[in-house]
Amino acid sequence: MGVEPGRVHFSWISSAESTKFVDVVKKVTEAVRAVGPNQKFVKKELKVA
Amino acid sequence: MKYIRIDKAQWAQGLAAAEKAYRLFGPVREGAMLNFAALAPGQAPDLDGLNTRMSARSVVYPQSEILFEYTVDPNDPDGNVLKEAPAPAKPAAAVGIRPCDAYSFLLVRRNFDAPDVKDVYWLRNYEATTFIGLACDHPGSTCFCTSAGCGPYSEQGLDVLLQDAGDAYLAKILTDKGAAFLAAAGWFTEAPADSEGCFSAGKEAAEAKITSTVETDRLAEIPQMALYDANFWEDIAFSCINCGTCTYLCPTCWCFDIQDEVRGKHGIRERNWDSCMFPLFTLHGSGHNPRGQKVQRVRQRFMHKLKYYVDKYGDGIQCVGCGRCIQYCPVNIDIRKVCQLMNRFGQDAACKVA
Amino acid sequence: MIAYTDKIRDIARRLLKDCRVETVIGFRNGSMPMMNEPCFIKNVDDVDHLIWDGNCGINLANYLTNRTDKIAVVAKGCDSRNIVTHIIENKIKREQLVIIGVPCKGMLDKRRIKAMAPGEVTRVVEDGESVRVCGAGFEKTYPRKDMLQANCAVCIHRNPVIYDELVADPVPEQQNVDRYEDVRAIEAMSAEEKWTYFENLLAPCIRCYACRNACPLCYCPTCFVDESTPQWVGKSQNPVDVRTFHFLRAYHCAGRCTDCGSCERACPMGINMRVFTKKLEKEAFEQWGWEAGLSLDQRPPLDTYRPDDPQDFMK
Repeated sequence: MGVEPGRVHFSWISSAESTKFVDVVKKVTEAVRAVGPNQKFVKKELKVA
Repeated sequence: MKYIRIDKAQWAQGLAAAEKAYRLFGPVREGAMLNFAALAPGQAPDLDGLNTRMSARSVVYPQSEILFEYTVDPNDPDGNVLKEAPAPAKPAAAVGIRPCDAYSFLLVRRNFDAPDVKDVYWLRNYEATTFIGLACDHPGSTCFCTSAGCGPYSEQGLDVLLQDAGDAYLAKILTDKGAAFLAAAGWFTEAPADSEGCFSAGKEAAEAKITSTVETDRLAEIPQMALYDANFWEDIAFSCINCGTCTYLCPTCWCFDIQDEVRGKHGIRERNWDSCMFPLFTLHGSGHNPRGQKVQRVRQRFMHKLKYYVDKYGDGIQCVGCGRCIQYCPVNIDIRKVCQLMNRFGQDAACKVA
Repeated sequence: MIAYTDKIRDIARRLLKDCRVETVIGFRNGSMPMMNEPCFIKNVDDVDHLIWDGNCGINLANYLTNRTDKIAVVAKGCDSRNIVTHIIENKIKREQLVIIGVPCKGMLDKRRIKAMAPGEVTRVVEDGESVRVCGAGFEKTYPRKDMLQANCAVCIHRNPVIYDELVADPVPEQQNVDRYEDVRAIEAMSAEEKWTYFENLLAPCIRCYACRNACPLCYCPTCFVDESTPQWVGKSQNPVDVRTFHFLRAYHCAGRCTDCGSCERACPMGINMRVFTKKLEKEAFEQWGWEAGLSLDQRPPLDTYRPDDPQDFMK
């Protein structure tokens, strides 16, 4: 739908896979940081006129 | 009455001049559809089509309108101060508005400009707008304006009425506001002496083309509760999907919802059109919904337009006969049929819609 | 079409007379060209109001939700698939229904016919394989197959998949149809192009919710856009809210949509919002080989787990 590639990630992580969880979170935050702040689903601050 | 002749060769030039003093609105082609919207600089209104999909209502009463903003940040110099939306710097002009849409503002005004309560936002926009109407020489098959209190050459609610005269528009000046707009556009050419005749001939011809009507003569005399309890509502309401098409396309629907949108310490209050077709419209904070069923909502819409309004103001129905709800209802609920059922209530032995 | 109408009336008359159903849900003549109105018939004397032609595009499964009476319902291919979905999702019981199946030849695209006409369309007559469009000062004849709704043109389930009575012999199903040409065109766009495309697509939306309300799948007691405690979506014309509504609604239809086209048909602003649901329909087909509403015995892919479910998108 036009959301930047790299903003959405899917992973299977078992509750026993703590190191995988850490790895995935690191990778996801890096990838999302590279894409930059999400502008598309956030309203601009509304003002009168 | 004063008439001005506007050569079509001077039309664009005049609008360009008027644009300096006015915010111009008019029919605009958007894809396959004609809509009433703000004109871009230099854009000419499209006056060739039938009526616009959305009515001209939004010129005075936008679908979403911010009323004021505020911040509750104590460090902000404007903290806890309510900042009202400023009035637009320039007045507006609705160019090419159809007489039915112009007339609708007079009906709606009863709600927003009541003796005891004034809606400042609506009134401010309404009073700042000049209505340059275009007479309907080719009304559509679902236009029933002549039986709904106006007509293809109706002057009610207009400041100028234009008639398409081939290579020119004839302009009938109805108010000082209208004269001021024509002056701002630089249109001063006096029209030929027979202009009045052109208008009355055009009026007669256009009215003769209107084939669609509503019956309203008995609506006032039938008791409210009798109509409310009438046996036809279930049949009328069955197909309704409770969308907002009829209410949003209607020039005379006025209901709105007030919303606050807040981000951090900053917020705005806005009002948005609402629709009596939506269950949420009447949902109480308690969870109770007095109009929780579809049949109740459908009945409310028709009773409001064709009975409560009639009783409250004693000046006809809350409908101008533009036919939009008939044209665009996804399931073909037809206000003409409903009006006939209501008007003939108690007369027809069999009350069937079909 | 007249044969269909007569047969529908015969069946309805018989069902009502024999007290097999309390209500028959079908279509009656509309007051506008290319419009018929969904209606209910309870009385044998009113059966002749029922009609059938190429203007019965509204999906009647929408009128069955949570009903408790015994109903006969007129159903073309897509309606029947939505009835199956309704039964699977417990919105109606199979035992309550007598399904009057209509082998469908496609519905007329009223929007396109109006747009092509040189003036206001006042009458449209279907005559076998052609359609005559009339208005003030014009009369044009088109091949019927060129005037079908976009979803009907690519339909491969024209015959009802479930029925108790059939009003005519099944029609041949369309072969070698490319169902997803439009979806592929969008898939080929870059993220930025897609965004712009959808932005323009949704620009005319007035949030009347006709698309949602015409959809048999949208039966939630309270839609997420109507929730007020908490309120998830703003009520204004802000594009963020408009977009959120359309995107989320489409996702709620994933693996359930039968591409009946009611949403587009209902839209007063002419928005082709089927591109959203079609993309999801395509995914359901390609990932799970699933087409919604074909069988009462299969659970939809999104409420079943299979070890071989595709998971290439998982890391």
